[in-house]
Formats: sequence, C-alpha cells, structure tokens
Amino acid sequence: MKRERQEESGVDLNLRRFIKNLGYIAGGAALAATVPWLSACTPEKLQEIGRRRARVALIGTGSRGQYHIHNLKLIPHAQIVALCDTYAPNLEAAHALCPEARVCTDYRRLLEDKEIDGVIISTPLNMHAPITLDALAAGKHVFCEKAMALTLDECKAVYEAYQRTDRALYFCMQRMYDEKYIRGMQLIHSGLIGEVVGMRCHWFRNADWRRPVPSPELERTINWRLYREFSGGLMTELACHQLEVCNWAAKKMPQTIVGMGDIVYWRDGREVWDSVNVTYRYSDGRKIAYESLISNKYNGMEDQILGNLGTMDMTRGLYYLEEDRSQSGVRQLIGQVRDRVFASIPAAGPSWRPELRSEYMPHPVIEGAVHVNGGQNMIGVDEDGSDVILSAFCQSCITGEKAENVVEEAYCSTVLCLLGNRAMEERRFIEFPDEYKIPYMKF
Amino acid sequence: MKDIIIPAAALCRELRIAVGCFLAAVAVNAGAVVAYERPWTELFSQIGYVIVIAAVLYLLLWPLRLLGRGACLLGRRIRK
Ligand SMILES: NC(=O)c1ccc[n+]([C@@H]2O[C@H](COP(=O)([O-])OP(=O)(O)OC[C@H]3O[C@@H](n4cnc5c(N)ncnc54)[C@H](O)[C@@H]3O)[C@@H](O)[C@H]2O)c1
Repeated sequence: MKRERQEESGVDLNLRRFIKNLGYIAGGAALAATVPWLSACTPEKLQEIGRRRARVALIGTGSRGQYHIHNLKLIPHAQIVALCDTYAPNLEAAHALCPEARVCTDYRRLLEDKEIDGVIISTPLNMHAPITLDALAAGKHVFCEKAMALTLDECKAVYEAYQRTDRALYFCMQRMYDEKYIRGMQLIHSGLIGEVVGMRCHWFRNADWRRPVPSPELERTINWRLYREFSGGLMTELACHQLEVCNWAAKKMPQTIVGMGDIVYWRDGREVWDSVNVTYRYSDGRKIAYESLISNKYNGMEDQILGNLGTMDMTRGLYYLEEDRSQSGVRQLIGQVRDRVFASIPAAGPSWRPELRSEYMPHPVIEGAVHVNGGQNMIGVDEDGSDVILSAFCQSCITGEKAENVVEEAYCSTVLCLLGNRAMEERRFIEFPDEYKIPYMKF
Repeated sequence: MKDIIIPAAALCRELRIAVGCFLAAVAVNAGAVVAYERPWTELFSQIGYVIVIAAVLYLLLWPLRLLGRGACLLGRRIRK
C-alpha cells in the first residue's frame, strides 16, 4: 500500500513525467543531441524493470548523504541496504532515517557484500577517487558526489578505470538532469540566443562555510571544506557545476586558464580561498568569467550564457532577447523611442550617462512555469535534478546500462576546477595540459 | 462661484482634435504592426497603449495651440 502510494507521488513518477515532458517519444531519440545521458533512463526502460529494486549502500552519511536517503526513500526501484560512515553521530542520524539498513564504519567491508548492487558516495572530496576506484574494482555500480576527485591524476585514474569497467558510474552533476537546464540548453543549441559569445557564472554567499564542531580535534573532519588536504575550495564545491554548464553550452573545452584567489574576509585559519576570479578562454576567444565570493550575497548564484541575440539565465530558467520580437509592435516602438530619447550616450562630454542595464522582458524556458519576482521564486526551482539523477543511477544498477557522457562531463568540469586552482596558486596563464586531455574533449 | 461657460463650438473643436489624436495613435499602432511584423489583432489588443498615446498627443498639442493663439493675438494687436 505504502509502496503504491510512493509510486503515485514519488521520484519514479517524477522521472517518467520529466522525461515525457522533455518530449521523449517511445524509444525515441529526440533529445539525443542535447542530453545523451537520458537514453539510459527512458520511461520504457523503467517499465521493463518492473518490480525489481536496486540494493544500494551509502558511504558518507553527512548532510548530502542524508539528503540522498530522503530521495531514495521516494524511489520505488531503490532499496537502502547498508550505511557506512566514520563519524558516529552522522551514521546514527542516517540509521534513524532507515533503521532496516545495516551499518558499518569501514567501506571496504561493505564492498565485500555481494548483496549490494551499487554504492552512493557522499564523503569529503579527498575520498571520492579512492572509494570510487575500490568500488568499481569490487564490481559495484557507483554514484559519487561531485567533484570527481581532489587531484588531476586521480581524475585521470577514475576516468581510465571507467573505460575498463562494465559497471555504471555516475557523478552527481545534477544540472544535467535538471529540466530547466535541459530546456535552456535545447534552446541555446537551437540558436535562440544566436551565437554563444561568452559565459558569465558566479556564486555569491555571505556565510563562513563553517559547521559547529563538538570538540577541537574534529575541526578538520567536520570543516573539511576549508582545508586543502580534503577540498578544492570554492572551485570544486561550487564552480564544478557551473563549468559543466558552460562546456555543455559551448560544446567544447577552454584552452587557457588564468585567475586569482585570496582570503579576503574569513581569516579564521582556513586554507582555501574565500574569493576566486577565474577566466577560462576557448580557442576561438570566447570566455567564461567565473567569480565566487562568500562574504557578500547580493549577486547570488547565476549561470548566464550570453549570445549575440539574447541571454540565457540558466539558474532561473529564463531568457532575454536583445531585440524582443515577442512584444507587441507598439511596445517595441515605445521602447525604441524611449531608448533614443533617454539612452543616447555621447562619446564624451558633460552629458555622459552611465550605460546601465536596460530592462529586458523575461521569457520562461518551460512553458507554463510560474515566475514571480523576476524569476527568483519559480515553481519547481527546488527540484534541481538530484532526485532524477539518483533514480537514473538506481535504474542503471538494475539494467547495468551506463549513462552516456556523465563521467566525461564530470571529468571535464573537475579538471577545469583543478586547473583553475592551479592557475590561481601559481599566478600564471595555464594552457590545458596534454596529459589530461581525453578524446571526448574538443578544443 | 462663477460658472465657466464652454461654447458649443469650442467643445466641438476639442472633440475633433481628440478624435484626430486617437486616429493618429491608431495609425501609429498600425504602423508598428507592419514594421515589427506583428498580428493585426494588436489593433484591438493594444487599445490601451493607443488611448495612452492619443492622450499624450492631445496634451502635447496644448502648448503648441497656446503658442499659436498667442501669436494670433499679438499679430492682431500689431495690425490695430
Ligand atoms: N551535488 C551537490 O549539489 C552537492 C551538494 C552538497 C554537497 N555535495 C558533495 O557531497 C559530499 C559530502 O558533502 P556533505 O556536505 O554531506 O559533507 P559532510 O561533512 O556533511 O558529510 C561527509 C560524511 O562523510 C563521512 N566520511 C568521511 N570519510 C569517510 C570514509 N572514509 N568512509 C565513510 N564515511 C566517511 C564523514 O564522517 C561525514 O559524515 C562532498 O563531496 C560535497 O562536495 C554535493
């Protein structure tokens, strides 16, 4: 009864509706060009699964691990069979969410368990690669949190292990499964905003990124994000998602990287920067301007793809046209007259006027989506694709089918994050190193 | 309080000017429909904008008309 209810309202249904909404016709490949990874989780394949369930274990049951537990409980084809964490309070909290699961503190023991089909890794970044490699070697399907790994060599090792294995490997780059990103990307690739001429991404917060620590010796374990032996800082924690979106839009990889990183405000013993500015340059001169700062949140988080005919605001699922032909003729005329009268900018002289941003009309990428407050409150904005990608992974655990390009996309964006960190560290221009190039990359 | 008397001829003239402004605004809307390749239904759907444009035209005519009237009066004085 309970399971039936879940099937009616849970992620399973979301996944079906989501893919149907995107225009997947039975077995069709309507979206293949933009989202090839969805071909592993079509509604037809979900139907074939029937009542089978993926037996999954969670390694790392902190904040993200527990979030995944909530989503997994809504997926009819998922069963949480084991939990693993080295920090007792987090393990207990997770166990309280799913008391039927076995618990352990050593992930290697868990990998020996033949009853487990796949593992979900939500540990600090430094453990992503070691656990992923061990789990693939043990024959498990793997779902690992982003970023792929802490070092470039680890990324390469994971990528190569994936080439050798027949197991499914997912990295939680949820924007790839987020309906508004997919729709937005389809529109970009259809030429709606013209030629993509640049990308502008930022993530601003006003918070120290710290968590309360019960005793001082746990500082590095709990606040691992702040220390370089565990974390790549803002680049791997935040930029990773955004750089993936840029590559997806540009359909290629940047070749040159330059940037600066500093601790400008949170001078509290942390080792990672609280302010980063990185520029990624593609071979044709287009650039990604990336910025993150965690002591002012005015600008929030945005992924903007700039075209010569318009701008796609991926985060809000809105686009703006440079010349908005969708407005009524008389409104366009009034707009033009207004621009002529008020916005004429003499080249110099006392009447110089600042070229402030003009008002653009927002258009939703998903028809029928309700936007208020300029898109800041958008229905469905909290559905960021994390549940859908997890559901797709559980499906792969059952079918054994790999999701196309997920690993490649995660590899590309993680390598870019790490090269950004290297450029900031060494304070120099970096050309994309040949040893980290893979056939998937186009420059 | 003193009554203000508006002669019928003046009222008629104002009405003619207002209708003229409205027609000019309709023409602007029609021009915009052609220029921006929009559907002809905008002749009705954008009627709000048309009324606003007509009102603006009507108000803009006032200072011009006052200037014209002033010039006429001045001319008559000089001739006398
Ligand atoms: N995709 C996203 O949007 C998103 C969002 C938040 C976090 N994350 C990622 O999720 C991961 C976890 O983040 P979090 O906020 O949950 O961190 P957290 O500190 O809350 O949880 C990490 C947990 O891993 C456990 N752990 C550490 N080493 C372990 C080991 N060897 N074996 C088993 N457990 C171990 C820790 O004890 C802790 O409970 C990070 O990589 C982070 O980047 C991704």
